Amino acid sequence: MNGTIFCSECGATLITEAPRRETTNALSRTIDGIPTVVEDGPHTVVPAPPTIAKASGICLVVINSGRRITLESGEELLVGRKDNQRGIYPDVDLGLDGGYDAGVSRRHAIISPSRKGYMLEDLGSSNGTFINSTRLAPQTPTLIAHGDELKFGTLILRFEIA
Amino acid sequence: MAPGIQLRSTLSRSVLPDVTEEQLIYVLLEVSAQGVPTTMPKLPLNLCLVIDRSSSMRGERLQQVKEAANRIVDLLSEDDCLSLVTFNDRAEVVIASQRVRNKVDLKRMIGGVEAAGGTEMATGMALALQEIQRALVGRGVSRILLLTDGRTYGDEGRCVEIVRRAQSRGVGLTALGIGNEWNEDLLETMSARENSRTQYITSASEIAQIFTDEVKRMHSVFAQDMQLRAEMRPGARLRSLDRVRPFIATVPVTEEKDLVWATNLGDWPGSDPQAFLLEVVVPSLAVGDHPLLRLTLRYSLPGMNLLNQEGNVVLRIGVRQAASVGYDVDVTVKHWLERLVAYRLQAGAWQDVAAGRIEDASRRLQMAGTRLFEVGDVDLAHTVQDEATRLLRSGQTSAEGRKRIKYGTRGLMGGETQEREA
Repeated sequence: MNGTIFCSECGATLITEAPRRETTNALSRTIDGIPTVVEDGPHTVVPAPPTIAKASGICLVVINSGRRITLESGEELLVGRKDNQRGIYPDVDLGLDGGYDAGVSRRHAIISPSRKGYMLEDLGSSNGTFINSTRLAPQTPTLIAHGDELKFGTLILRFEIA
Repeated sequence: MAPGIQLRSTLSRSVLPDVTEEQLIYVLLEVSAQGVPTTMPKLPLNLCLVIDRSSSMRGERLQQVKEAANRIVDLLSEDDCLSLVTFNDRAEVVIASQRVRNKVDLKRMIGGVEAAGGTEMATGMALALQEIQRALVGRGVSRILLLTDGRTYGDEGRCVEIVRRAQSRGVGLTALGIGNEWNEDLLETMSARENSRTQYITSASEIAQIFTDEVKRMHSVFAQDMQLRAEMRPGARLRSLDRVRPFIATVPVTEEKDLVWATNLGDWPGSDPQAFLLEVVVPSLAVGDHPLLRLTLRYSLPGMNLLNQEGNVVLRIGVRQAASVGYDVDVTVKHWLERLVAYRLQAGAWQDVAAGRIEDASRRLQMAGTRLFEVGDVDLAHTVQDEATRLLRSGQTSAEGRKRIKYGTRGLMGGETQEREA
Protein backbone atom coordinates (compact mmCIF):
# COMPACT_ATOMS: atom_id res chain seq x y z
CA MET A 1 0.00 0.00 0.00
CA ASN A 2 1.27 3.47 -0.79
CA GLY A 3 2.91 4.90 2.29
CA THR A 4 4.17 1.59 3.69
CA ILE A 5 7.74 2.09 4.88
CA PHE A 6 8.84 -1.49 5.61
CA CYS A 7 7.74 -4.69 3.92
CA SER A 8 5.53 -6.55 6.37
CA GLU A 9 6.93 -9.91 5.24
CA CYS A 10 10.65 -9.37 5.23
CA GLY A 11 11.13 -5.97 6.86
CA ALA A 12 13.06 -4.52 3.91
CA THR A 13 12.89 -0.76 3.46
CA LEU A 14 10.47 0.17 0.71
CA ILE A 15 11.41 3.79 0.32
CA THR A 16 14.56 5.73 -0.37
CA GLU A 17 14.11 8.98 1.44
CA ALA A 18 15.80 12.17 2.47
CA PRO A 19 14.64 12.34 6.09
CA ARG A 20 13.50 15.60 7.61
CA ARG A 21 11.82 16.24 10.93
CA GLU A 22 8.28 17.56 10.74
CA THR A 23 7.00 17.60 14.32
CA THR A 24 5.08 20.49 15.73
CA ASN A 25 5.50 21.83 19.21
CA ALA A 26 2.70 21.64 21.70
CA LEU A 27 2.01 24.36 24.20
CA SER A 28 0.78 23.49 27.62
CA ARG A 29 -1.35 25.44 30.04
CA THR A 30 -2.73 24.78 33.42
CA ILE A 31 -6.05 26.16 34.61
CA ASP A 32 -6.33 26.61 38.35
CA GLY A 33 -3.42 24.27 38.84
CA ILE A 34 -5.16 21.42 37.04
CA PRO A 35 -3.09 20.26 34.10
CA THR A 36 -5.00 20.29 30.83
CA VAL A 37 -4.11 18.57 27.62
CA VAL A 38 -3.47 20.99 24.79
CA GLU A 39 -3.77 20.05 21.15
CA ASP A 40 -1.27 20.57 18.38
CA GLY A 41 -2.07 23.18 15.78
CA PRO A 42 -2.67 21.87 12.27
CA HIS A 43 0.51 21.83 10.23
CA THR A 44 1.06 21.01 6.60
CA VAL A 45 4.48 20.93 5.01
CA VAL A 46 5.43 21.18 1.36
CA PRO A 47 8.38 18.84 0.80
CA ALA A 48 11.63 20.30 -0.59
CA PRO A 49 12.58 19.35 -4.16
CA PRO A 50 14.86 16.27 -4.24
CA THR A 51 18.58 16.91 -4.70
CA ILE A 52 20.24 15.17 -7.62
CA ALA A 53 23.73 13.73 -7.15
CA LYS A 54 26.09 12.58 -9.91
CA ALA A 55 27.12 8.94 -9.64
CA SER A 56 30.89 8.65 -9.27
CA GLY A 57 31.34 5.24 -7.74
CA ILE A 58 29.58 2.60 -5.75
CA CYS A 59 29.77 1.58 -2.14
CA LEU A 60 28.93 -1.66 -0.38
CA VAL A 61 28.20 -1.42 3.32
CA VAL A 62 28.63 -4.59 5.36
CA ILE A 63 25.67 -4.40 7.71
CA ASN A 64 27.03 -6.35 10.64
CA SER A 65 30.32 -4.50 10.88
CA GLY A 66 29.50 -1.21 9.24
CA ARG A 67 32.57 -1.55 6.98
CA ARG A 68 32.17 0.58 3.90
CA ILE A 69 33.74 -0.83 0.75
CA THR A 70 34.13 1.97 -1.79
CA LEU A 71 34.72 0.90 -5.36
CA GLU A 72 35.40 2.62 -8.62
CA SER A 73 32.59 2.26 -11.08
CA GLY A 74 33.13 1.25 -14.67
CA GLU A 75 34.46 -2.29 -14.31
CA GLU A 76 33.20 -5.73 -13.45
CA LEU A 77 33.66 -6.52 -9.74
CA LEU A 78 34.04 -10.02 -8.39
CA VAL A 79 32.47 -10.60 -4.96
CA GLY A 80 33.74 -13.57 -2.98
CA ARG A 81 36.45 -14.83 -0.61
CA LYS A 82 40.17 -14.58 -1.10
CA ASP A 83 41.99 -17.87 -1.55
CA ASN A 84 45.76 -17.56 -2.00
CA GLN A 85 46.22 -21.24 -2.74
CA ARG A 86 43.84 -21.23 -5.65
CA GLY A 87 44.81 -17.77 -6.76
CA ILE A 88 41.37 -16.29 -6.25
CA TYR A 89 41.48 -12.58 -5.41
CA PRO A 90 38.00 -11.05 -5.52
CA ASP A 91 37.60 -7.27 -5.83
CA VAL A 92 35.26 -7.48 -2.86
CA ASP A 93 36.76 -9.91 -0.34
CA LEU A 94 34.05 -10.86 2.14
CA GLY A 95 36.38 -13.23 3.96
CA LEU A 96 37.24 -10.17 6.02
CA ASP A 97 33.66 -9.87 7.25
CA GLY A 98 32.99 -13.40 8.37
CA GLY A 99 32.31 -14.56 4.84
CA TYR A 100 33.51 -18.08 5.54
CA ASP A 101 30.98 -18.55 8.36
CA ALA A 102 28.28 -16.85 6.34
CA GLY A 103 28.68 -19.27 3.46
CA VAL A 104 30.18 -16.91 0.92
CA SER A 105 31.74 -18.81 -1.97
CA ARG A 106 35.19 -17.93 -3.24
CA ARG A 107 33.70 -16.85 -6.57
CA HIS A 108 30.25 -15.85 -5.43
CA ALA A 109 28.86 -13.09 -7.65
CA ILE A 110 29.69 -10.29 -10.05
CA ILE A 111 28.58 -6.66 -9.98
CA SER A 112 28.88 -5.04 -13.39
CA PRO A 113 27.90 -1.71 -14.89
CA SER A 114 25.52 -1.63 -17.83
CA ARG A 115 23.56 0.93 -19.77
CA LYS A 116 20.57 0.44 -17.48
CA GLY A 117 22.59 0.67 -14.27
CA TYR A 118 24.38 -1.88 -12.11
CA MET A 119 23.73 -5.59 -12.49
CA LEU A 120 24.28 -8.39 -9.99
CA GLU A 121 24.91 -11.93 -11.21
CA ASP A 122 25.19 -15.04 -9.08
CA LEU A 123 27.99 -17.37 -10.27
CA GLY A 124 26.36 -20.57 -9.10
CA SER A 125 27.32 -20.02 -5.47
CA SER A 126 26.59 -22.70 -2.89
CA ASN A 127 24.45 -20.54 -0.60
CA GLY A 128 22.91 -18.13 -3.04
CA THR A 129 22.76 -14.45 -3.81
CA PHE A 130 19.74 -12.38 -2.78
CA ILE A 131 18.43 -8.94 -3.63
CA ASN A 132 16.04 -7.73 -0.90
CA SER A 133 15.57 -11.37 0.13
CA THR A 134 14.66 -12.58 -3.35
CA ARG A 135 17.07 -15.27 -4.48
CA LEU A 136 18.70 -14.86 -7.86
CA ALA A 137 18.82 -17.71 -10.34
CA PRO A 138 22.44 -18.46 -11.26
CA GLN A 139 23.95 -16.66 -14.26
CA THR A 140 21.01 -14.26 -14.48
CA PRO A 141 22.22 -10.65 -14.26
CA THR A 142 19.64 -8.57 -12.39
CA LEU A 143 19.41 -4.82 -11.94
CA ILE A 144 20.25 -3.46 -8.47
CA ALA A 145 19.33 -0.01 -7.17
CA HIS A 146 20.71 2.34 -4.56
CA GLY A 147 19.58 1.21 -1.12
CA ASP A 148 19.02 -2.41 -2.09
CA GLU A 149 20.01 -5.08 0.39
CA LEU A 150 22.28 -7.66 -1.17
CA LYS A 151 22.90 -10.93 0.59
CA PHE A 152 25.69 -13.38 -0.17
CA GLY A 153 25.03 -16.56 1.77
CA THR A 154 23.85 -15.04 5.03
CA LEU A 155 26.06 -11.97 4.83
CA ILE A 156 24.07 -8.80 4.24
CA LEU A 157 25.41 -5.72 2.46
CA ARG A 158 23.72 -2.54 1.42
CA PHE A 159 24.38 -1.32 -2.11
CA GLU A 160 24.88 2.40 -2.54
CA ILE A 161 25.61 4.53 -5.55
CA ALA A 162 27.80 7.40 -4.39
CA MET B 1 8.22 25.55 30.32
CA ALA B 2 5.05 25.59 32.35
CA PRO B 3 4.13 22.23 33.88
CA GLY B 4 1.42 20.35 32.07
CA ILE B 5 0.40 17.30 30.16
CA GLN B 6 1.53 17.17 26.56
CA LEU B 7 -0.03 15.32 23.65
CA ARG B 8 2.28 15.47 20.68
CA SER B 9 1.50 13.80 17.38
CA THR B 10 3.83 13.28 14.43
CA LEU B 11 2.74 11.91 11.07
CA SER B 12 5.02 9.85 8.84
CA ARG B 13 3.93 12.25 6.13
CA SER B 14 1.61 15.21 6.56
CA VAL B 15 1.16 15.70 2.82
CA LEU B 16 -0.19 12.84 0.75
CA PRO B 17 -0.62 12.37 -2.99
CA ASP B 18 -4.13 12.42 -4.46
CA VAL B 19 -4.29 8.77 -5.54
CA THR B 20 -7.40 6.67 -6.05
CA GLU B 21 -6.27 3.81 -3.80
CA GLU B 22 -6.05 3.64 -0.03
CA GLN B 23 -2.82 4.82 1.58
CA LEU B 24 -1.03 4.04 4.79
CA ILE B 25 0.08 6.66 7.25
CA TYR B 26 1.86 6.21 10.57
CA VAL B 27 1.15 8.37 13.60
CA LEU B 28 3.53 8.66 16.52
CA LEU B 29 1.66 9.86 19.58
CA GLU B 30 3.81 11.02 22.48
CA VAL B 31 2.22 11.58 25.84
CA SER B 32 4.23 13.20 28.57
CA ALA B 33 3.78 15.01 31.85
CA GLN B 34 6.41 17.46 32.97
CA GLY B 35 6.31 18.88 36.44
CA VAL B 36 2.83 17.49 37.07
CA PRO B 37 3.87 14.51 39.22
CA THR B 38 5.78 16.76 41.61
CA THR B 39 2.78 19.03 42.13
CA MET B 40 0.39 16.17 42.86
CA PRO B 41 0.00 14.55 46.25
CA LYS B 42 1.50 11.02 46.23
CA LEU B 43 -0.86 8.11 46.04
CA PRO B 44 -0.54 5.37 48.67
CA LEU B 45 1.16 2.18 47.45
CA ASN B 46 0.06 -1.39 47.94
CA LEU B 47 2.92 -3.68 46.99
CA CYS B 48 3.30 -7.44 47.24
CA LEU B 49 6.67 -9.04 46.56
CA VAL B 50 6.41 -12.59 45.25
CA ILE B 51 9.79 -14.24 45.39
CA ASP B 52 10.91 -17.58 44.00
CA ARG B 53 12.98 -19.29 46.69
CA SER B 54 13.66 -22.55 44.82
CA SER B 55 17.12 -24.05 45.29
CA SER B 56 18.47 -22.45 42.11
CA MET B 57 18.06 -19.08 43.81
CA ARG B 58 20.63 -20.08 46.43
CA GLY B 59 23.62 -17.82 46.91
CA GLU B 60 24.01 -14.45 45.26
CA ARG B 61 20.55 -14.31 43.71
CA LEU B 62 18.60 -14.63 46.93
CA GLN B 63 21.13 -12.45 48.71
CA GLN B 64 20.58 -9.63 46.22
CA VAL B 65 16.80 -10.09 46.40
CA LYS B 66 16.84 -9.69 50.17
CA GLU B 67 19.07 -6.64 49.87
CA ALA B 68 16.72 -5.19 47.26
CA ALA B 69 13.67 -5.94 49.40
CA ASN B 70 15.31 -4.10 52.31
CA ARG B 71 15.78 -1.09 50.08
CA ILE B 72 12.11 -1.20 49.19
CA VAL B 73 11.24 -1.13 52.88
CA ASP B 74 13.40 1.99 53.18
CA LEU B 75 11.56 3.67 50.33
CA LEU B 76 8.07 3.06 51.72
CA SER B 77 6.23 4.93 54.45
CA GLU B 78 3.26 4.49 56.79
CA ASP B 79 0.90 5.41 53.97
CA ASP B 80 2.02 2.33 52.03
CA CYS B 81 1.21 -1.34 52.48
CA LEU B 82 3.74 -4.09 51.93
CA SER B 83 3.47 -7.87 51.83
CA LEU B 84 5.95 -10.60 50.98
CA VAL B 85 5.15 -14.07 49.64
CA THR B 86 7.77 -16.67 48.88
CA PHE B 87 7.24 -19.85 46.88
CA ASN B 88 9.01 -23.07 46.01
CA ASP B 89 7.01 -26.31 45.98
CA ARG B 90 4.65 -24.53 48.35
CA ALA B 91 4.03 -20.89 49.08
CA GLU B 92 3.97 -18.93 52.30
CA VAL B 93 3.19 -15.43 53.47
CA VAL B 94 6.37 -14.09 55.05
CA ILE B 95 5.03 -10.58 55.60
CA ALA B 96 1.27 -10.29 55.80
CA SER B 97 -0.08 -7.14 54.16
CA GLN B 98 0.57 -4.27 56.59
CA ARG B 99 1.46 -0.61 56.76
CA VAL B 100 5.19 -0.01 56.69
CA ARG B 101 5.83 1.02 60.28
CA ASN B 102 8.37 -1.18 61.99
CA LYS B 103 11.05 -1.33 59.32
CA VAL B 104 13.49 -3.26 61.50
CA ASP B 105 10.94 -6.03 62.01
CA LEU B 106 10.15 -6.20 58.29
CA LYS B 107 13.81 -6.52 57.39
CA ARG B 108 14.26 -9.26 59.95
CA MET B 109 11.45 -11.25 58.35
CA ILE B 110 13.02 -10.73 54.93
CA GLY B 111 16.33 -11.95 56.31
CA GLY B 112 14.82 -15.27 57.35
CA VAL B 113 14.05 -16.42 53.79
CA GLU B 114 16.09 -19.43 52.65
CA ALA B 115 16.44 -21.11 49.25
CA ALA B 116 15.40 -24.75 48.79
CA GLY B 117 13.08 -26.94 46.73
CA GLY B 118 11.30 -26.71 43.38
CA THR B 119 9.11 -24.14 41.64
CA GLU B 120 5.33 -23.83 41.77
CA MET B 121 4.43 -20.29 40.93
CA ALA B 122 0.62 -20.46 40.92
CA THR B 123 0.34 -20.97 44.67
CA GLY B 124 2.64 -17.99 45.18
CA MET B 125 0.50 -15.84 42.88
CA ALA B 126 -2.69 -16.94 44.64
CA LEU B 127 -1.33 -15.89 48.04
CA ALA B 128 -0.10 -12.62 46.54
CA LEU B 129 -3.55 -11.77 45.22
CA GLN B 130 -4.99 -12.61 48.61
CA GLU B 131 -2.57 -10.27 50.42
CA ILE B 132 -2.96 -7.46 47.91
CA GLN B 133 -6.73 -7.51 48.21
CA ARG B 134 -6.51 -7.23 51.95
CA ALA B 135 -5.14 -3.73 51.60
CA LEU B 136 -7.19 -2.58 48.61
CA VAL B 137 -8.84 0.69 49.56
CA GLY B 138 -10.42 3.45 47.53
CA ARG B 139 -7.40 4.85 45.81
CA GLY B 140 -3.80 3.94 45.47
CA VAL B 141 -1.36 2.07 43.26
CA SER B 142 -1.39 -1.72 43.64
CA ARG B 143 1.28 -3.98 42.22
CA ILE B 144 2.51 -7.53 42.47
CA LEU B 145 6.26 -7.68 41.95
CA LEU B 146 7.22 -11.20 40.92
CA LEU B 147 10.74 -12.56 40.57
CA THR B 148 11.52 -16.05 39.34
CA ASP B 149 14.49 -17.90 37.90
CA GLY B 150 12.92 -21.18 36.80
CA ARG B 151 10.08 -22.92 35.09
CA THR B 152 6.93 -23.65 36.97
CA TYR B 153 5.43 -27.04 36.16
CA GLY B 154 1.85 -27.75 35.21
CA ASP B 155 0.30 -24.61 36.66
CA GLU B 156 1.09 -22.06 33.98
CA GLY B 157 -2.55 -21.69 32.99
CA ARG B 158 -3.46 -21.05 36.60
CA CYS B 159 -0.79 -18.35 36.86
CA VAL B 160 -2.32 -16.49 33.92
CA GLU B 161 -5.84 -16.92 35.34
CA ILE B 162 -4.86 -15.48 38.69
CA VAL B 163 -3.05 -12.51 37.24
CA ARG B 164 -5.97 -11.68 34.95
CA ARG B 165 -8.21 -11.57 37.98
CA ALA B 166 -5.76 -9.21 39.64
CA GLN B 167 -5.49 -6.99 36.55
CA SER B 168 -9.25 -6.70 36.22
CA ARG B 169 -9.24 -5.27 39.74
CA GLY B 170 -6.63 -2.68 38.90
CA VAL B 171 -3.72 -4.63 40.38
CA GLY B 172 -0.73 -4.59 38.04
CA LEU B 173 2.01 -7.17 37.69
CA THR B 174 5.71 -6.56 37.22
CA ALA B 175 7.24 -9.93 36.34
CA LEU B 176 11.01 -10.27 36.49
CA GLY B 177 12.89 -13.25 35.11
CA ILE B 178 16.51 -13.82 36.10
CA GLY B 179 18.97 -16.19 34.46
CA ASN B 180 18.22 -18.44 31.50
CA GLU B 181 15.81 -21.07 32.80
CA TRP B 182 12.51 -19.24 33.26
CA ASN B 183 9.67 -19.29 30.76
CA GLU B 184 9.76 -15.97 28.90
CA ASP B 185 6.51 -16.69 27.06
CA LEU B 186 4.67 -17.22 30.35
CA LEU B 187 5.90 -13.98 31.87
CA GLU B 188 5.12 -12.11 28.65
CA THR B 189 1.59 -13.49 28.61
CA MET B 190 1.04 -12.71 32.26
CA SER B 191 2.13 -9.10 31.80
CA ALA B 192 0.32 -8.42 28.52
CA ARG B 193 -2.30 -6.16 30.12
CA GLU B 194 -2.46 -2.65 31.52
CA ASN B 195 -0.42 -1.75 34.57
CA SER B 196 1.85 -4.70 33.89
CA ARG B 197 5.33 -5.18 32.53
CA THR B 198 8.05 -7.78 32.42
CA GLN B 199 11.80 -7.56 32.42
CA TYR B 200 14.80 -9.80 31.79
CA ILE B 201 17.48 -9.58 34.46
CA THR B 202 20.78 -10.97 33.25
CA SER B 203 22.79 -10.47 36.43
CA ALA B 204 21.89 -10.57 40.13
CA SER B 205 23.66 -7.25 40.59
CA GLU B 206 20.82 -5.53 38.69
CA ILE B 207 18.10 -6.66 41.10
CA ALA B 208 18.40 -3.90 43.67
CA GLN B 209 18.24 -1.14 41.06
CA ILE B 210 15.25 -2.71 39.33
CA PHE B 211 13.32 -3.11 42.60
CA THR B 212 14.08 0.49 43.53
CA ASP B 213 13.05 1.70 40.08
CA GLU B 214 9.74 -0.11 40.44
CA VAL B 215 8.89 1.64 43.71
CA LYS B 216 9.93 5.00 42.27
CA ARG B 217 7.76 4.32 39.25
CA MET B 218 4.81 3.48 41.47
CA HIS B 219 5.40 6.64 43.50
CA SER B 220 5.38 8.68 40.30
CA VAL B 221 1.86 7.55 39.32
CA PHE B 222 -0.28 10.68 39.35
CA ALA B 223 -3.07 9.79 36.92
CA GLN B 224 -5.07 6.59 36.63
CA ASP B 225 -7.70 4.94 34.45
CA MET B 226 -6.03 6.32 31.35
CA GLN B 227 -7.99 5.65 28.21
CA LEU B 228 -7.03 6.43 24.65
CA ARG B 229 -9.72 6.77 22.01
CA ALA B 230 -9.21 7.14 18.26
CA GLU B 231 -12.09 8.43 16.14
CA MET B 232 -11.45 8.03 12.44
CA ARG B 233 -12.91 10.01 9.57
CA PRO B 234 -15.35 8.03 7.38
CA GLY B 235 -13.46 5.65 5.13
CA ALA B 236 -10.39 5.58 7.34
CA ARG B 237 -9.50 2.76 9.69
CA LEU B 238 -7.04 1.96 12.42
CA ARG B 239 -4.92 -0.98 11.30
CA SER B 240 -2.86 -1.33 14.45
CA LEU B 241 -1.96 0.42 17.67
CA ASP B 242 1.25 -0.42 19.49
CA ARG B 243 2.98 1.04 22.47
CA VAL B 244 6.59 1.93 21.70
CA ARG B 245 7.63 3.74 24.89
CA PRO B 246 8.67 2.99 27.54
CA PHE B 247 8.72 -0.45 25.92
CA ILE B 248 7.17 -2.14 22.91
CA ALA B 249 3.86 -3.90 23.49
CA THR B 250 0.83 -4.64 21.36
CA VAL B 251 -2.09 -2.74 22.82
CA PRO B 252 -5.45 -4.55 22.91
CA VAL B 253 -7.90 -2.21 21.16
CA THR B 254 -11.66 -2.60 21.07
CA GLU B 255 -13.89 -1.17 18.38
CA GLU B 256 -16.42 0.72 20.50
CA LYS B 257 -18.55 1.55 17.53
CA ASP B 258 -18.08 2.22 13.85
CA LEU B 259 -14.93 4.29 13.33
CA VAL B 260 -14.14 4.50 17.05
CA TRP B 261 -11.40 2.46 18.69
CA ALA B 262 -10.52 2.59 22.38
CA THR B 263 -7.99 1.07 24.72
CA ASN B 264 -7.41 1.13 28.47
CA LEU B 265 -3.93 2.10 29.49
CA GLY B 266 -4.15 1.98 33.28
CA ASP B 267 -1.90 3.99 35.57
CA TRP B 268 0.26 6.80 34.30
CA PRO B 269 3.69 6.92 35.97
CA GLY B 270 5.10 10.39 35.50
CA SER B 271 8.63 8.96 35.32
CA ASP B 272 8.05 7.08 32.07
CA PRO B 273 7.61 8.79 28.70
CA GLN B 274 4.73 7.18 26.84
CA ALA B 275 4.50 6.86 23.10
CA PHE B 276 2.27 4.93 20.73
CA LEU B 277 2.50 4.15 17.05
CA LEU B 278 -0.71 3.97 15.03
CA GLU B 279 -1.09 2.58 11.53
CA VAL B 280 -3.95 4.39 9.83
CA VAL B 281 -5.44 3.51 6.46
CA VAL B 282 -6.47 6.67 4.64
CA PRO B 283 -9.19 6.56 1.99
CA SER B 284 -8.85 8.27 -1.37
CA LEU B 285 -9.30 12.01 -0.84
CA ALA B 286 -9.51 15.05 -3.09
CA VAL B 287 -6.83 17.72 -3.13
CA GLY B 288 -7.20 19.94 -0.06
CA ASP B 289 -6.87 19.76 3.71
CA HIS B 290 -8.77 17.10 5.59
CA PRO B 291 -9.18 16.06 9.20
CA LEU B 292 -8.05 12.45 9.55
CA LEU B 293 -8.67 11.41 13.12
CA ARG B 294 -9.23 12.67 16.63
CA LEU B 295 -7.21 11.21 19.49
CA THR B 296 -8.76 11.66 22.92
CA LEU B 297 -6.95 10.97 26.17
CA ARG B 298 -9.09 10.49 29.24
CA TYR B 299 -7.72 10.06 32.78
CA SER B 300 -8.44 10.56 36.45
CA LEU B 301 -6.43 12.54 38.95
CA PRO B 302 -7.23 10.72 42.18
CA GLY B 303 -4.83 12.93 44.13
CA MET B 304 -7.18 15.84 43.43
CA ASN B 305 -10.39 13.82 43.41
CA LEU B 306 -10.93 14.57 39.75
CA LEU B 307 -12.37 12.01 37.36
CA ASN B 308 -12.73 11.96 33.61
CA GLN B 309 -10.30 14.66 32.66
CA GLU B 310 -9.98 14.86 28.93
CA GLY B 311 -7.82 16.28 26.24
CA ASN B 312 -7.75 15.68 22.55
CA VAL B 313 -5.91 16.43 19.36
CA VAL B 314 -7.23 16.41 15.80
CA LEU B 315 -4.81 15.28 13.13
CA ARG B 316 -5.14 16.82 9.72
CA ILE B 317 -3.48 15.95 6.44
CA GLY B 318 -2.98 17.82 3.23
CA VAL B 319 -3.62 16.13 -0.09
CA ARG B 320 -1.81 17.50 -3.12
CA GLN B 321 -1.34 16.50 -6.73
CA ALA B 322 0.67 13.29 -6.81
CA ALA B 323 3.45 14.70 -8.95
CA SER B 324 4.32 17.34 -6.37
CA VAL B 325 4.44 15.01 -3.35
CA GLY B 326 7.80 13.46 -2.43
CA TYR B 327 8.55 10.35 -0.44
CA ASP B 328 10.01 12.10 2.60
CA VAL B 329 9.20 10.33 5.83
CA ASP B 330 9.63 11.75 9.30
CA VAL B 331 12.85 10.30 10.81
CA THR B 332 11.45 9.89 14.30
CA VAL B 333 8.37 8.05 13.10
CA LYS B 334 10.54 5.87 10.90
CA HIS B 335 12.88 5.13 13.83
CA TRP B 336 10.12 3.86 16.11
CA LEU B 337 8.43 2.00 13.29
CA GLU B 338 11.73 0.31 12.52
CA ARG B 339 12.04 -0.87 16.12
CA LEU B 340 8.48 -2.14 15.92
CA VAL B 341 9.23 -3.95 12.67
CA ALA B 342 12.28 -5.62 14.22
CA TYR B 343 10.08 -6.76 17.11
CA ARG B 344 7.42 -8.13 14.74
CA LEU B 345 10.01 -9.90 12.59
CA GLN B 346 11.53 -11.74 15.55
CA ALA B 347 8.06 -12.64 16.82
CA GLY B 348 7.31 -14.12 13.39
CA ALA B 349 10.60 -16.01 13.51
CA TRP B 350 9.66 -17.85 16.71
CA GLN B 351 6.34 -18.80 15.13
CA ASP B 352 8.30 -20.19 12.18
CA VAL B 353 10.50 -22.19 14.55
CA ALA B 354 7.46 -23.62 16.30
CA ALA B 355 6.08 -24.68 12.91
CA GLY B 356 9.38 -26.24 11.88
CA ARG B 357 10.17 -23.64 9.19
CA ILE B 358 13.79 -23.22 10.22
CA GLU B 359 15.04 -21.44 7.10
CA ASP B 360 12.20 -18.92 7.19
CA ALA B 361 12.85 -18.31 10.88
CA SER B 362 16.53 -17.71 10.26
CA ARG B 363 15.77 -15.37 7.40
CA ARG B 364 13.32 -13.37 9.54
CA LEU B 365 15.87 -13.07 12.30
CA GLN B 366 18.44 -11.84 9.77
CA MET B 367 16.01 -9.17 8.60
CA ALA B 368 15.30 -8.20 12.20
CA GLY B 369 19.05 -7.89 12.69
CA THR B 370 19.33 -5.55 9.73
CA ARG B 371 16.62 -3.29 11.14
CA LEU B 372 18.37 -3.25 14.50
CA PHE B 373 21.62 -2.15 12.87
CA GLU B 374 19.71 0.63 11.19
CA VAL B 375 18.35 1.93 14.49
CA GLY B 376 21.79 1.70 16.03
CA ASP B 377 21.20 -1.23 18.38
CA VAL B 378 24.41 -2.95 17.25
CA ASP B 379 24.83 -5.33 20.19
CA LEU B 380 21.30 -6.65 19.90
CA ALA B 381 21.69 -6.87 16.12
CA HIS B 382 24.74 -9.11 16.61
CA THR B 383 22.83 -11.25 19.10
CA VAL B 384 20.01 -11.66 16.60
CA GLN B 385 22.34 -12.56 13.75
CA ASP B 386 24.26 -15.04 15.90
CA GLU B 387 21.00 -16.74 16.77
CA ALA B 388 20.00 -16.78 13.09
CA THR B 389 23.26 -18.52 12.20
CA ARG B 390 22.94 -20.95 15.11
CA LEU B 391 19.40 -21.77 14.01
CA LEU B 392 20.40 -22.42 10.42
CA ARG B 393 23.33 -24.63 11.42
CA SER B 394 21.85 -26.68 14.23
CA GLY B 395 18.10 -26.23 13.92
CA GLN B 396 18.06 -25.14 17.57
CA THR B 397 17.71 -21.89 19.42
CA SER B 398 19.47 -21.00 22.66
CA ALA B 399 17.57 -20.20 25.86
CA GLU B 400 19.63 -17.08 26.47
CA GLY B 401 19.43 -15.97 22.84
CA ARG B 402 15.64 -16.25 22.77
CA LYS B 403 15.27 -14.20 25.93
CA ARG B 404 17.71 -11.51 24.85
CA ILE B 405 15.99 -11.19 21.50
CA LYS B 406 12.39 -11.28 22.73
CA TYR B 407 13.03 -8.86 25.54
CA GLY B 408 15.76 -6.81 23.89
CA THR B 409 13.65 -5.93 20.85
CA ARG B 410 10.92 -4.73 23.21
CA GLY B 411 13.30 -2.63 25.28
CA LEU B 412 12.77 -4.78 28.36
CA MET B 413 16.31 -5.63 29.32
CA GLY B 414 17.88 -4.52 32.55
CA GLY B 415 18.88 -0.94 33.10
CA GLU B 416 20.37 -0.59 29.61
CA THR B 417 17.28 0.82 27.97
CA GLN B 418 15.76 2.64 30.93
CA GLU B 419 15.03 6.15 29.82
CA ARG B 420 14.83 9.02 32.23
CA GLU B 421 13.19 12.39 31.78
CA ALA B 422 15.58 15.23 32.53
